[in-house]
Formats: sequence, structure tokens, C-alpha cells
Amino acid sequence: MDTTIRSEAFQTFADAAGSIMNPAVREWRAQGGKVVGYFCSHMPTELLMAAGLLPFRMRGTGSEGTELSDAYFTSINCSFPRHTFNLALKGDYDFLDGLVCVSSCDHVRRVYDNWKQALPTPFLRIMSLPKKVDDPQVEWYRDEINLLKDDLEQHFNVVISDERLREAIRLRNETRRLQRQLYFLRKEKHPRITGAETLAVMVAGSAMPAEQYNPLLQRLLEDLSQANGERGKTDYRARLMIVGSELDDPEYVDIIENQGGLVVTDSICYGTRTMWVDVDEQAADPVEALARYYIQERPSCPRMNGDQPRREKFVQDLIQEFAVDGVIGERMLFCDFWCAEHYMNKQDFKEAGIPFLQLDREYITSGKGQLMTRVQAFLETMGK
Amino acid sequence: MEKHEVKQRALARYKQERDWFAFLLQAAEYMDTPEGKLQVKMLRILLESKQNVIDCVEQDKPFVAAYFCTAPELFTAMDLPWFMIMETPFLAASAPYILEDLQGTEELGLGTDLCTAIRLPIYYIETGQMPVPSAVIGLLSPCDGTTMLQQVLQHNKAWHDVPIFCPDPPYKSDERAINYFANELRQMVRFVEKHTGHRLEIDRLRAVCEESNRTYALWQEYNELRRAVPSPHGWEIGGPQAFGVSQCFRAGDPRCTDWFRQLLECGEERVKAGRGANDYAPEKIRLLWFDIMPHGWIQEFMPWLEQEWGAVLVMDMFSNFPYTMIDTTSEETMFHDLAKRNLIDVPMIRQARGTAENFSGDIIRMVKDYKIDAVIWPGHMGHKDGAATAGIMRETCRDLGVPFLHIGVDLFDKRYTSVDEVKAKVSEFFSGMGLG
Repeated sequence: MDTTIRSEAFQTFADAAGSIMNPAVREWRAQGGKVVGYFCSHMPTELLMAAGLLPFRMRGTGSEGTELSDAYFTSINCSFPRHTFNLALKGDYDFLDGLVCVSSCDHVRRVYDNWKQALPTPFLRIMSLPKKVDDPQVEWYRDEINLLKDDLEQHFNVVISDERLREAIRLRNETRRLQRQLYFLRKEKHPRITGAETLAVMVAGSAMPAEQYNPLLQRLLEDLSQANGERGKTDYRARLMIVGSELDDPEYVDIIENQGGLVVTDSICYGTRTMWVDVDEQAADPVEALARYYIQERPSCPRMNGDQPRREKFVQDLIQEFAVDGVIGERMLFCDFWCAEHYMNKQDFKEAGIPFLQLDREYITSGKGQLMTRVQAFLETMGK
Repeated sequence: MEKHEVKQRALARYKQERDWFAFLLQAAEYMDTPEGKLQVKMLRILLESKQNVIDCVEQDKPFVAAYFCTAPELFTAMDLPWFMIMETPFLAASAPYILEDLQGTEELGLGTDLCTAIRLPIYYIETGQMPVPSAVIGLLSPCDGTTMLQQVLQHNKAWHDVPIFCPDPPYKSDERAINYFANELRQMVRFVEKHTGHRLEIDRLRAVCEESNRTYALWQEYNELRRAVPSPHGWEIGGPQAFGVSQCFRAGDPRCTDWFRQLLECGEERVKAGRGANDYAPEKIRLLWFDIMPHGWIQEFMPWLEQEWGAVLVMDMFSNFPYTMIDTTSEETMFHDLAKRNLIDVPMIRQARGTAENFSGDIIRMVKDYKIDAVIWPGHMGHKDGAATAGIMRETCRDLGVPFLHIGVDLFDKRYTSVDEVKAKVSEFFSGMGLG
């Protein structure tokens, strides 16, 4: 990814997003810290932080093949878990002291079963995530979080007090607040940060301790603020939004932007869906506050039944707020959630007169030429 | 599309399907065998169920759209007609219009990697070819596709105002999960009562559950018969029909119990006489088909298995579960056990909803109980959680010392992998493993 941002903080983020083991994780471990991997943005990372653990969101960054995981998965499975599990089988995730999965989708939930079969990670759990957003589901998830809390306390010999949990929520909300500030910069006519650069910052946030990430992000915001007037994207043809699933590769966004489509906002699970809303810090029960946040309050993903109108409104509000000209719907092949969600998006956007391009992709960015052509054609059809 | 237009279009389509089954019934009536009589009886129950829905649409009477695993005993107890939203792929995939409909799903712009069993109902809903019910009981398991089917349905303009309730199936299978799901079923009943006017009387539910228990007891007894060598029945009669009769049409209806009684008698006679599934092709390979039957190309494939290889489908995924009998002591016990049955026992939900233990556990149990020589996981293109369990299934079979084949098919669309190609793969597998 080419960048013109002159900021050490940004370079740290780009490095962390571009690899699995980064200096922050290395340092954390060198100081005796433990790391717990997790899949899916519905994982209440605050709980791991309150246990004194470093939450690390699982990725397949740098993977070049699925030769080992192909013995477990098949060709009709999403390439994200296949690449990520392949890295695990190769030993790239040996630094993990634990892994928590969530029953997120048909592909990723089976990582838990296969991991259990193949790898000796000492702490391995799966959380049962409801598929609705009503009060009984909040209650169910609250109990799930409490069960995980008990297991973490027992296994890692720690106490997760309400105070520690509140502090973790406060720290994580601070991350969200800073990330939103970064996004607000992109509302400008000439944004000082691109979509690809923003994604690198967001991905880094899932691979570093918040205590280290937050001050760095604050510094980046200051660096960008000082750069006001010197820099700002002026050479774009259209302002785009990306709507879709797990996208952790800034290179993918970079290809889109190199065609002249500046990505100014998103609804992806490394983007707004993880930070547009805060967890309630004043709630009497912090565990219940987490459950309510992850089930009801945060912008949902298509696996949450009955919430499609709210999702659509969330996207259309962002379109207005960020002056978006067109939307790119990206999904990884074999993802049923996003296949049907984009089918509905297409109808809704058509009614609202919003140009929409549906792109299927593999986890590891490939077919760059085809992607370039599709984006170019999309921009042309928009008259840009 | 206007409401009345949807109504007429949906009725025409639903009648077309009814007529397809009426045609199959006429053909079955020529079969002068005990198995033929079973087919006739099943088709009559099915046709009655279809006609009930047609009557409701025509006379504006309440009916619901639901699924087999949403405790159909409750609908019977409430005397409420219902149809299964995925009825066509599950029950009518051999109908002559299926390929044309599949083409329609592609023209709709739905990704071809989305399960055909999901795409077809979406196509019928989006093109106004499915009767719009008084209320919908949606399904959120076992797969991502079913969850999305409910959401596309709610998004559709003709269905948008139809009240919907989807019981939320937890990923876990412990007592806490059962109680949670029982609570979801209670909410479902309140919802159905509100939107249809049909009430649930607990004594009536008790009677239905007792009848349903009799049905399941007979099914278990029948399954014991299939342990016999040779197995009294193969692909043609048994599991899939038993599933339809017990869960899709009128769960807890004495006529269903009667059907099972007849099935049992029919199997017993064959076992006593030492007759296998196919009088003209002796049983050489005892197969476990670990998925739904290939409904879209069943006639082109299953007879071939028996005739060419003597491979008898002794058991399949839809046919054998440790079904929980419902304790009818109280309202509480009934809801608890209905929750357990519909969360943990029923096919597909049992294996695919939660962790992979039931994939391996069921294979181990069935291979041992039924003296299975080979396991075939057809690998339906929609069963992505199953596809991600292929390694575990292979390992399980390796430990059992039983050959395992994963093919990669579409159980409803024969264009995905041609029947000839499937046959070639199976033949290669049998030859390579020295079977048959």
C-alpha cells in the first residue's frame, strides 16, 4: 500500500496490519503477557482485557496457501478460515495462549471443531451467539459472557472484577471514540487519509494492547491535523463506501482507490460496525452492558435476523453523512449471509437511486486486473 | 405485484405442485406391493395437507408457513394448517419444473454458491409463487442460508406485513439451551395464537404428543429392523418418507402412526422371509448416505447403486436419531421435550446447528449399529458447515476402518455435478476399496 502519510504512528499501524506477529505482541509476550485469539467482532474483547490478556483478532495475513487446512475444510468453504487455519497449522499462531470462537457463521464456527481436533492450544472455547436482537437474547449472551468469565478466571488464575471490567470498557470505548474521530476526517471534501490507510489503522487496533494503541492513534490524529492544508485527497473521481464482511487487507481497498474511487466510509466488521456506538459505561451490571451492546446496540451483521431494516438505515445514514456517491458490496465467495444481504441491498439502493457494485472475492486478494476493470466500469457508469 | 395477483399466482403454482403429487399417487396406485401401498398412503396424507393449504388461501382462513423443526405437534394441537417453506426442494425436487425454477433463481441474481434449497423458496417468494400465509414461523438453523431466507422473506413487499416469529436456536445443546429454546417455543405459541386465532389447549397437546410418541416408537422399532442383513429396505422406502410423515404433514396424527405401523409390518415380513431391499439385486455393500437424499436426481442414481453394485442404502441422515419421547406429565415437561426434540434430535438441525460432535457421533453409532461397509458424504453445495467438517468425518471413518467418500454435489440440481460423474466417482471408490 502506497502512503503519503508522514507519521511514525501510522507506520506502526501499517506494520501491525501487514503481519501476524508484530512488535507490540512480541513485547507483550516478552513481558510475560498472555495472548488470546478470537474470531468475529461479536467477541466481547473487553472481557479478555479485564482478565489482563491481550485479545488478538484472527487473520490470515501473509498466507500463501491452504495446503494443510484443505484436509479439514473443502473447496466450498470460505477462504478466510481456510487461510487462517492454515497459518495456525503451520505454527504461525503458536504464540496464542488461548482461542475463543463465536458461532458466527457456518465456516468460521467449524474452526473451533477443527482446532480442537488438530491443535493443542490450552484454552479453547466457543460462545453461543444468538441470531436475534431481542431481550431474551441479551440475557442468553449475558450468561454466555459470564460462563466465559468463569472459565477465564479459572484457567488463567485471575479475577475479573466489575472494576476491571469497567476499566476495560472505558479503555475500549476510548479506542472507539478515537477511531470515530479518524472516520470523521474522511467526511471532508479532501480527506487526509484514504480508505486503505484507515483500514490498516483499524486492523492494527485488533492486534495491539489498547494501552499502546490509543495514544498512538491520538498521535496519528494530531499528525493528520497538523498536515491540514498540506495534504488531502483531491484527485479522486468518486466517494465510495464499502459494505460487506471480514475485510482486513488494505491492499484490496488500495486497488479500488487507485482507480479513482476514494473509500470514505464503510460498514464492514473491521470498520464502523465495531466502533460507531459505545458500550454503556454507567450500567449497573457491566456484563449485561456488554451483552446488550454486542446483541442490540452495535450495528449488526446479517446473521442477526430481523435487523435488516436497521442495517439498511445505518448504511443509508452513513451514505448521507459521508456524501457517498456509490457503494461497493464485497463478500467472500460461499458466504450466504452477505450473498442474501447484498441481494437486498441491491433492491434498496436501486429504490434510493444509489449506485451499487457487487464484488465477490477470495480472502487473499487475487484477480487484481478483474477488480480494477470492474471498479473502473462502475465509476464510468456513475458518470465519474 | 398486487396482493390479489400474488394470491392467484401462488395458488396456481401450489396447485401445480399438488397435481404433481396427484400424478405420483396415480402411478403408485398401480404398485401392487406392500411398499407401494405405503407410498399411496403417504401421498394421500401429503395431498390432503396440500389441499388444506389451498382451501385456506381460497377461503381466507388462517394458516402458517413454517418448518419441520419448529415443533409441528403444536400446529396439530392447535388444528392449524401449515406448509413447509422449503417444501418444494425437500419433497418435490423430482417435479418436471424444477430445472426451470433453478434457472429462475439464477436470473434473479442470487449467487449460485447459495444453497439451492434456499434459493428455490426465495425465488418462489420473490416471484409471487408461494402462498402468503397469515403468519410465518421462521427458521434460524441449521445454516446461514436459512437465516437469510427468513430475512429476504421479510424484505419482500408481499410478505413484508406478514407477522413473523423465529425461534432462536442456541448453538449449545445442554439443559440451559433446551430451557431457552422451550421459552422460545412458548413465545411462538403466543404469537401464533395472536395472529391466527387458533388456541393451544394443553390436554389436546398432550393427546397429540402421546400420538407422536407412538409414531416415534414405531419408527425406532422399524429402524431396528434395518440392522438385519440383508436390510429389508433401501433408498426407496423408509427414512425420507418417515421424516415427511412424522414431521412435515400432520405430526401427532393417528393416520401417521398407522403409516408407521404398516411400514413396520412390511419390514418385518421381509426380514422373516430373508428378503433384501431389492429382489433382483442381492445386497453386497451396506451404505450410510450421510446427508439428505439426492431428491433432484434420485431416480437416476439410487436404482443404479443397487443394480450395478448391490449397494443398499441401509441408513441415511434423515432416518435415524435417538428421538426423545415427550414426557406428557405437564405443560412444562411437554415444552421441554418438544424443545429438546426440535433442537437436538431432528435431522440436519441435530448435526449442523451446533458443534461437530454429532457428525462424528452419529457416524460412529450408525456404522456400528448397521454394519456399514462404506460411508458416503455427498457434500451438498449448500452444506458449508458439513463441508468444514469433512476432515473430522474422514478421520472418524478412518478410526472405524470404514471407507469414506466425499463427492461434491447439488442434491437438487443435477447440473452441478452430472449424475454420470457421480456414478463414476462412486464406482471408482467401490473398486478402489475392493467393495462390491
